[in-house]
Amino acid sequence: MPDILPRRRLLAASAAALPALLATAGCRSSDAFAGPDPLAGRPALSPDVVTLQAVIAAERAMIALYQVAVHNDLRPADRARGLEGLLGQHRQHLGQLLARLAVPSGAPSASSSPSTSPSARPITGPDRVTIAQLRAAERASATDLVRRLVTVPPALAQLFASIAASDATHAVALAGYGPG
Amino acid sequence: MTAGPVTGLAALQAALAAEDAAIFGYGVAGAHLSGTRQSAAEQDWTGHNEARDTLTAMIAKLGAIPAAAQAFYQLPFAVHDAASATALAAYLEDGVTRAYLGLVAVSDQRLRTFGALAMQGSAERAAFWRGSTQAFPGLEAS
Repeated sequence: MPDILPRRRLLAASAAALPALLATAGCRSSDAFAGPDPLAGRPALSPDVVTLQAVIAAERAMIALYQVAVHNDLRPADRARGLEGLLGQHRQHLGQLLARLAVPSGAPSASSSPSTSPSARPITGPDRVTIAQLRAAERASATDLVRRLVTVPPALAQLFASIAASDATHAVALAGYGPG
Repeated sequence: MTAGPVTGLAALQAALAAEDAAIFGYGVAGAHLSGTRQSAAEQDWTGHNEARDTLTAMIAKLGAIPAAAQAFYQLPFAVHDAASATALAAYLEDGVTRAYLGLVAVSDQRLRTFGALAMQGSAERAAFWRGSTQAFPGLEAS
């Protein structure tokens, strides 16, 4: 390989000469790289991903409500078991929603947007949750999901619709537990 | 081979067929129920008739001919008492829920919303007859 050494010398000489060339051109070396960096860009999230993240955040909030309700509502035992059953179904919802989430690497979403982050983090909420509040939350969730499903791909729309239907049945089931 | 996208008309016809089957099935189930359960079955039978009329009108509005109901439907199992009648009612509502879920996959946003709201009603009725809720009404258990 007889030509390697001359090429290396040429490259070294070019690197050494670069600051002088830049100075001649009236700019500092850092200015030469001040333009857009195509490798540092964060991909924008698609509207579907943003929607899914919002639904995931709402499902997490619902689970947090149920956890408070279950924790503070151990009697009667039948009602506590019923609430745990509904909580379990919400955890199933969350699992299916998370399975559909594919966020591009480096995207600004998951960690920088607390309101829509699907990452596991403690959700602060009320110290006590009534059955009436759970019912209202279930109804609101069903309504929100139906509103959101019109713009997402068919398979995701069907998942939203199914979860909305489940939430609607939860609201009816909760009616049997009384207001408290 | 994968199926192509379902058209709104095809999904409406499928929902109509499910409603027709439910109307027939509730006629069988109601005969084996009594008291409040029979009243509930009658109320649901009426609701499915109204839904059939709604779907028939929607299909006709699209310029198509609504699929006619069959004279007889094969039941999934023998119905001979209140327990099997109750199970049949839940089965019927599950089928209606799946049919309306098909409407949610079409491109027409109004039909999507219609299907999503309709399946809430059938999921609630299914939960009543089954005595428990499901995590994913209309979808395969996962």
